[in-house]
Amino acid sequence: MARKIFLLMLLSFCVGFLMTGCPKKTVVKQEPSVTKEEAARREEAARREEEARRREEEARKKEAAIREEAARREEAARREFEKSLVAKKEPGVEGIVFESSLLKDIHFDFDKYDIRPGDAEILKENASLLKKFPNVKIQIEGHCDERGTNEYNLALGERRANSTKNYLISLGISSDRMSTISYGEEKPLDPGHDEEAWAKNRRAHFIITSK
Amino acid sequence: MMRYRIFSLLIFLIFPGLAEARIYLDINAPTLVQIPITLAKWKAIEKTPPSLSERVYEILTSDLTLSGFFKVIDVSKLPPLLKDREGIPNTSSLPEWESSGGEILLSGEAFLESDGLRLRLKFHLFDLIEQKHLVGKQYEGPISTLRTMVHRIADETIYQLTGENGVHNTKLAFTVTQGSAKEIFIADFDGANLKQLTNNQSINISPVWSPEGRRIAFTSYLRRNPDLYLIDLDGKNLQKFSSFPGLNASPSWSPDGKKIALMMGMEGKSEIFIVDANGKNPRKLTKSHGNEASPTWSPDGQWIAFVSDRSGSPQIYIMAQDGSNVRRLTFEGNYNTNPSWSPKGDQIAFCGRVEGSYQIFTIGSDGSGLRRLTSNSGNNESPCWSPDGRYIAFSSTRTGSPKIFIMNANGFNQRSLTSSKGGEKSPAWSKRLD
Repeated sequence: MARKIFLLMLLSFCVGFLMTGCPKKTVVKQEPSVTKEEAARREEAARREEEARRREEEARKKEAAIREEAARREEAARREFEKSLVAKKEPGVEGIVFESSLLKDIHFDFDKYDIRPGDAEILKENASLLKKFPNVKIQIEGHCDERGTNEYNLALGERRANSTKNYLISLGISSDRMSTISYGEEKPLDPGHDEEAWAKNRRAHFIITSK
Repeated sequence: MMRYRIFSLLIFLIFPGLAEARIYLDINAPTLVQIPITLAKWKAIEKTPPSLSERVYEILTSDLTLSGFFKVIDVSKLPPLLKDREGIPNTSSLPEWESSGGEILLSGEAFLESDGLRLRLKFHLFDLIEQKHLVGKQYEGPISTLRTMVHRIADETIYQLTGENGVHNTKLAFTVTQGSAKEIFIADFDGANLKQLTNNQSINISPVWSPEGRRIAFTSYLRRNPDLYLIDLDGKNLQKFSSFPGLNASPSWSPDGKKIALMMGMEGKSEIFIVDANGKNPRKLTKSHGNEASPTWSPDGQWIAFVSDRSGSPQIYIMAQDGSNVRRLTFEGNYNTNPSWSPKGDQIAFCGRVEGSYQIFTIGSDGSGLRRLTSNSGNNESPCWSPDGRYIAFSSTRTGSPKIFIMNANGFNQRSLTSSKGGEKSPAWSKRLD
């Protein structure tokens, strides 16, 4: 009985051996046809790769051209900005600052400090200029007309400068690029004493403290 | 400031029988009657040049006229006064003097010592109605102090007749526009001795006197920021005092000199702060959404009046000196600024807008008794009180560019102070400097 069991076990072992051995032999037999397909695939991949490389190269060239164009434009804008800068040394005031005709004044209603819709558009233009030149730092001057008393006008000018600053912050300009100063009624643009002069003098003006 | 001394000597006390000085003029009365005063021509003693006694007479006439309390009687047609005892003229024998219309007679003499340096001025006051000698005094000092000595005589005259000192040895500080610059100037209360303190071509504004009266504080844009500075009365020793980023403006010393209230920029708007006398340790007093400006202390040091537009338009408010107990003082009109607390504490002068022009008003510190003091054409701004509370200085555009004017506290007797070139603004009155 024991012998019978041993023979069975031996048989099953041999069968198991034969079964596990068989697939190996099959793979080896099929090898030549697989290599052919792979070669074709590789060829195709190489072709595609070449195509992609060519396209990439083209894109790179195009991109470079765009970049170059952008750089040219940036350079032109920078040149235009540089050209617009006027150095300003005021008597009785320390240091030199710059003014740019590209940073436009905004104006205010009598006794008011809110930004009018038309002036908001001007601030948007000023903000896009400031975004182009992230190193530029500005000081926002708040001014009033001559009517009313000097000290209250100092407070009003402070508010005008700061409502302008806050609007520029809302447009994405970092607050550490902007300082404010109130001149009250002490620095009129127009020395006249009529409505026209007063309207010109109620303003926020921008000076460049660092370019 | 003054390196000399003027000696005064009471020659005669008030005659026996007059136990206390009589008040001839109540300067606090709402309507003021002027005292007719007869000013006898001053005598030049011995070799004193007559031009000197004439100069004394001119300054004295001007002082008494400018005070607003006197009607000066023309004496050109009156006979000369005769001396009686002790140099006091006898008027009882002079019907022309009695009938001159004057109620008070002021006579005096000038004596320049032979060295030509020391001057003695002697004067007497008489009551012409009751034929009484009121006071006689002699002042002695270097000839260079002539003007100051005459101012003393005018002050003494006012003291004798009203019971309160005059302001003849006080000065005013103010700004003068020179092109695009504004410079700080000072002048005597009568406009004499106009002197430029700053000469930096910058914008220098809102001068005030330091409590001891020897320096001027003001805001200047020298560093492209409105900083506070102090400067001596000779224009020297400029000292930066408060230079926080943003506003450092409109300072007002507490009556004890230990604290300063001022406007400072904070989170984008002007607030009232208090700093220590050295400009350090700022504390914010106001907590509203409005703009705050122009603090002024009450003379008892307990309260601060200021401007706030928290209600939508600038109005005068009062708060305790720690920022508590805020109450609104002005309700009339929609633009009331520039408060200035009177030295006696009962009134606050301010600038209000009336139909597009700016006028000076006073109001009781309890909010009662609003009174308009200016009505001339032009804008009238920045009122400030004389140290005795009898006058208000302000700026006015009634003759064109702004000029400093002075009026009696009831609005009477408005006159311009100086004839400087350029617009004058923001007057500040010193305390008595003698």
